[in-house]
Amino acid sequence: MKRYDLVIVGAGPAGLSAAIEAAKNGLNVVVYDENSKPGGQLFKQIHKFFGSKEHKAKIRGFKIGEELLEEADKLGVEVVLNAIVLGLHPEKELTIKVEEEVIHVKGDTVIIATGAAENMVTFRGWTLPGVIGAGAAQTMMNLNKVRPGDKVLMLGTGNVGLVVSYQLLQAGCEVVALVDAAPRVGGYGVHAAKVARTGVPFYLSHTIIEAEGKDHVTGVVIGEVDANWNIIPGSEKHFDVDTICMAVGLSPMSQLLKSAGCKIVEDPKKGGVVPEIDELGQTSIPGVYAAGDVSGIEEASSAMIEGRIAGAAASEYLGYITKEELEEKIKVNESALDALRQGMFAPKNRGKLLEKTEEGVDISMNLLKKGYLLEEEVEKYPGVTKQKGVHPVIECTQNIPCNPCQDSCPKGCIMVGKNITSLPVVDTEKQCIGCGMCVASCSGQSIFLVDEEFEEGYASITMPYEFLPLPKVGDKGVALDRSGAKVCEAEVVDVRKAPVFDHTNLLTIKVPVEMSMKARFFKN
Amino acid sequence: MDESRRILEHPILGVTEEKRIVHFQYDGKDMTGYEGEPIASALRAAGVMVHRHTKKRDEPRGIFCAIGRCTDCVMIVDGKPNIRTCITPLKEGMQIQTQYGVTAKTN
Amino acid sequence: MVKVNDRMRDIGEFIPAKDDDILICRCEEITKGEIRRAVHDGIFTMEEMRRYLRNGMGLCQGQTCGKLVKNIMAKELKISPLELEPETSRAPMRPIEMEIYAKDGGNV
Repeated sequence: MKRYDLVIVGAGPAGLSAAIEAAKNGLNVVVYDENSKPGGQLFKQIHKFFGSKEHKAKIRGFKIGEELLEEADKLGVEVVLNAIVLGLHPEKELTIKVEEEVIHVKGDTVIIATGAAENMVTFRGWTLPGVIGAGAAQTMMNLNKVRPGDKVLMLGTGNVGLVVSYQLLQAGCEVVALVDAAPRVGGYGVHAAKVARTGVPFYLSHTIIEAEGKDHVTGVVIGEVDANWNIIPGSEKHFDVDTICMAVGLSPMSQLLKSAGCKIVEDPKKGGVVPEIDELGQTSIPGVYAAGDVSGIEEASSAMIEGRIAGAAASEYLGYITKEELEEKIKVNESALDALRQGMFAPKNRGKLLEKTEEGVDISMNLLKKGYLLEEEVEKYPGVTKQKGVHPVIECTQNIPCNPCQDSCPKGCIMVGKNITSLPVVDTEKQCIGCGMCVASCSGQSIFLVDEEFEEGYASITMPYEFLPLPKVGDKGVALDRSGAKVCEAEVVDVRKAPVFDHTNLLTIKVPVEMSMKARFFKN
Repeated sequence: MDESRRILEHPILGVTEEKRIVHFQYDGKDMTGYEGEPIASALRAAGVMVHRHTKKRDEPRGIFCAIGRCTDCVMIVDGKPNIRTCITPLKEGMQIQTQYGVTAKTN
Repeated sequence: MVKVNDRMRDIGEFIPAKDDDILICRCEEITKGEIRRAVHDGIFTMEEMRRYLRNGMGLCQGQTCGKLVKNIMAKELKISPLELEPETSRAPMRPIEMEIYAKDGGNV
């Protein structure tokens, strides 16, 4: 039987990070993954990540995947694909289906990083072709480059639902509505806002009643739910769609750990059945660790850190590093993890309705109910200031762990501070030069440059733009407000593309000056 | 090949690289797709939604999870039933058939 | 956790509902009504339900329906889903052809 210092199951962000950490410490590592490509879900993540530099913030997910693979490869980590782990047995023996046979390997340590599976909800017609998971939509459009449908309705307003809706728009699909049975948007407000301003309506406290169609989806009926989740008669709405996409949460895929006899618990805050683990990720079986979504649903950024911790712990377990070295590594990683677990979306705040930000500003209820901020709400936030000449307007209104805007400004106009969940503050003493670095760096696409003195009677608004076709200077169209409603005529006066912007183009439009705090999107 | 459902250029991912075109048969009809792409992807691009009909209720099913977990997209490929088309690469000359229960239609 | 003795507990009559014909287990085509009725037939644990109706025993191995079945059973039993023990997990974790499984070479 082949024997390794460390056997890792799952080549996603957690598994690869664990492999890299362990290989650096000298362990002989193998990673098995049932998919034909490594990277887990990272290669479908085409948006810029949140966090700070240490979390690879403002880098797009698939780029992070490439970096991890390259590093693992350099360190000589063996990654075996199309390898289905069938069982984890006593003495850390694994049975794995590779090609047409079942092999046995033994790991002196084992890290399980199998990730999560998508949850689903049922409604009449939910088995019809055309009803798909949000992950399926991402796979089809971002990996296989095929549009999942022409007209799509998204169920679920968590970050997955919001991000995938935006990606559907980027792929050229029409998103007819975002629907959620919950009364409030579950994901980041900035993700909701960038979808809402393109004109996609949000239906909170609504659910799908029926998917229509004989052989495949041709339409959908939604309805409003009351406090007891019952449909309110007369609230039904119909949409013509060919695709219904479900993004209603994830469940840890912990079956392998359970079958091995690891102690498990059911924790709704972690998304379901998870192994009991200590601060190193070690399960109740010494030398068997869990990292990433399998031990509790979080973002990929957290999974990478958990992977590094488990990789270091396995190294220490086998004596490749000392206890002191492990403690040092844990200190660094835990503070990085801790930073990500702060703010209003922190695991500890799940399900709570917070009414004020850490700064004491009211949280926009309109953002939570409709997906966009009202103009009168925007001005209360510290990133929104009135200034002469060009200046940033940062419509970042929730405490989320993210700070690339601060580092991006060469003039020091933007301050987030030590606590990365703080709302960005615009310093009016510093002179903005309109370089647009902040606009492109904001993973939430919530920064605009506004110049109310652009021309007599006209203001210019610079916005992030990640769609095709990219408008050209001189194009005339309409400006949309935060809700996606047309507010005025607009003309494109500048289009900036640069490698440093990483595909977030800067589109500058000219609008009547009274529209400077209203217009937030452009349509030809 | 009908390319209307394919994303030829993407704002973030750029221009889709060209792959070799291969020919295959779907329920006896000649079709084309890209070599190595999942069978399901080629079928979706060609407008095929129904991959199989279920055994008990004879209901249509198609792509659901697209990552090989749900097994809803299984079809008969080169005579073998229960092939997960969302993770099986397309090859030149493949014979792909709609699956009824666990077999091809017999009549 | 649901104890065997809990079966003496009165959970009331089975009341048919409009959505009883909706499929829950997509692979084995088991409906919500079948699961609800099975609870009233005395099937109180997830493990027994799988053996009784074959829900979650198809190609995908309960990947999609596991949570759904749990919630339906809990509602019928008038308990929290957390009180229902999840079904047993055992190798093989994924469907595999017998031909390949049988060829297992053991310790090579």
